[in-house]
Amino acid sequence: MAAALLEQLVNGLMTGSIYVLIALGMVLIYGVMHVLNFAHGVLFMVGGYVCHFFYTRLTGSYTAALLLSMATLALIGAGIERSIFRPLQGNLRNQVIASLGLILVIENLVVAIWGPNALQMKTPATEHLISLGELRFPLQHLMIIVVTSVVVAALFAFLKWSKLGTALRATSQDRNAAMVVGIPVERVDVASFALGTALAALGGALVGPLFLVFPQMGDAPMVKGLAGILLGGMGSVPGAVIGGLIIGVAESVSTLFLPTDYRDSIAFAIMVLILLARPRGLFGVRMRGEA
Amino acid sequence: MRRAGLLMLLVAALYSIPLVSAPYVLHILVLCCLYAIPAVGLNLMLGYTGLVSLGHIAFAGIGAYTAAYLMVDLKLGYWSALALAVAASGVAGAVIGAICLRFRSHFFMIVTLAFGLMLYSVMNNWDEVTRGAAGFPGIPRPAGFGPLESFYRLALGGALVAFAVQWLVVRSSFGRILVALRQDERLAEAKGVNAALCKTAVFALGSALAGLGGVLLVSFLRVAAPASFNLAESINAVLIVIIGGAGSLAGPILGALLFVGLPELLRVAAEWRLVVFGAILVLITLFAPNGIADLIARGWNRLGR
Repeated sequence: MAAALLEQLVNGLMTGSIYVLIALGMVLIYGVMHVLNFAHGVLFMVGGYVCHFFYTRLTGSYTAALLLSMATLALIGAGIERSIFRPLQGNLRNQVIASLGLILVIENLVVAIWGPNALQMKTPATEHLISLGELRFPLQHLMIIVVTSVVVAALFAFLKWSKLGTALRATSQDRNAAMVVGIPVERVDVASFALGTALAALGGALVGPLFLVFPQMGDAPMVKGLAGILLGGMGSVPGAVIGGLIIGVAESVSTLFLPTDYRDSIAFAIMVLILLARPRGLFGVRMRGEA
Repeated sequence: MRRAGLLMLLVAALYSIPLVSAPYVLHILVLCCLYAIPAVGLNLMLGYTGLVSLGHIAFAGIGAYTAAYLMVDLKLGYWSALALAVAASGVAGAVIGAICLRFRSHFFMIVTLAFGLMLYSVMNNWDEVTRGAAGFPGIPRPAGFGPLESFYRLALGGALVAFAVQWLVVRSSFGRILVALRQDERLAEAKGVNAALCKTAVFALGSALAGLGGVLLVSFLRVAAPASFNLAESINAVLIVIIGGAGSLAGPILGALLFVGLPELLRVAAEWRLVVFGAILVLITLFAPNGIADLIARGWNRLGR
């Protein structure tokens, strides 16, 4: 029992890390622009595909492919912000609709380019097993957890100490006041979108080798990431980290007691229950436009 | 009066389409009607009341599976099973809606999305009742509506019923309350409107209409499969309402026509058709934010002047 629990704990931290990467991107974009980008999951998926392309076709180095994929997706994210979300600024409903339309465009574009079948991306880290007590894990599991921790730490440092990070926080606290003190808020918008999609791409590129790369691979992580954000409190960056981890661990551990078919429902049930008790989430922050 | 006459003429024309049309076109028209019915329900919620539900089609699934269970396993007659299934969707909508409506704006959307996924997971996994991912086969069509031409008339009838319900609601004082809630909930409450009750009622009504659409859809396909009621379908319903024009009577019908018809017209482009379609959607939100119905209405007015 203890071994099984430990195993599911590691699994949960791994999937939770992926949810954290998705949730952080969405929360950054939401905080700065007040946009809920439902297309974040397909951008995660594109990250997986682009990484696959760079890894198998061009570089042969997984790390290089990972970084190139993040850079490519940052550019795509910036482009989407400029062309679609900026013109729709302030129109909450149509931003949501446009992001739903984007899902259709991007997902089918990927199917048209790469075909509907799943692609394999084998890396040395998925083959190499490491033992932890009596348990064995692919190295990739631990790599995902470690990379995510490093990225989260770097992101916190960036938000806290860098000039752009401070501008980002200022804009998300009060857009008008930020403008008054001379922060170029529109450039901050682009930066937050690029950063958010790059984080999504990192997530997609990290899970690609473990599971397969396929057109729907981002759907479930996107919804789980959303659940994590709500759990942690909409707009709270530390909340997104804790929320994502809770969802990942809870659904993995639940498989010990409940049929695995219902694993997805567990995450949502927890989310709804916690929200009913604490409508602003665990680390709830008051957002603009809400009383 | 003239408008009523025009409407009657339109219905008569639609009713007699099977006399002149090829089965392929008829098939598409049936699908248009079946997509339009839940969309009308969603239009009451999204267009008139401002409730963006991202789990709407899951309630169509509740209706469809209730009907399938009643018809196939309990051997109930078609029409009584249909009525009970619609009622079941409505009750589920009232209960789940009451929970979802404790949240606002983004939170509401995400909680409806979560419920949609949970309901989908039940349809996909509760093998004893729903037959799981393979689908629930052997769902009958009602007596006399077996062939495509007569089923088209049933689907058209369903769409007309949904449209009539929408029309009656919108012109009633309840409909005006819904619009007031969308525009300013606090002001409406200050005027003595019970906001929670009215929003739950419209959620239940919208879900019941979704249930009607779900039952007709599975009896058209003769099988209920979880994939007909997944997240993508719920998102499609939102897109249909928005493209058509949220908060206009004809919006969901136009939206369904475009949603089902346009990809068929674009078939020449094979795998690129959904890409083009999605791009058109994004362009509509950018340049015609009130949907096709509004575009047509404005064009009509300009012509009239």
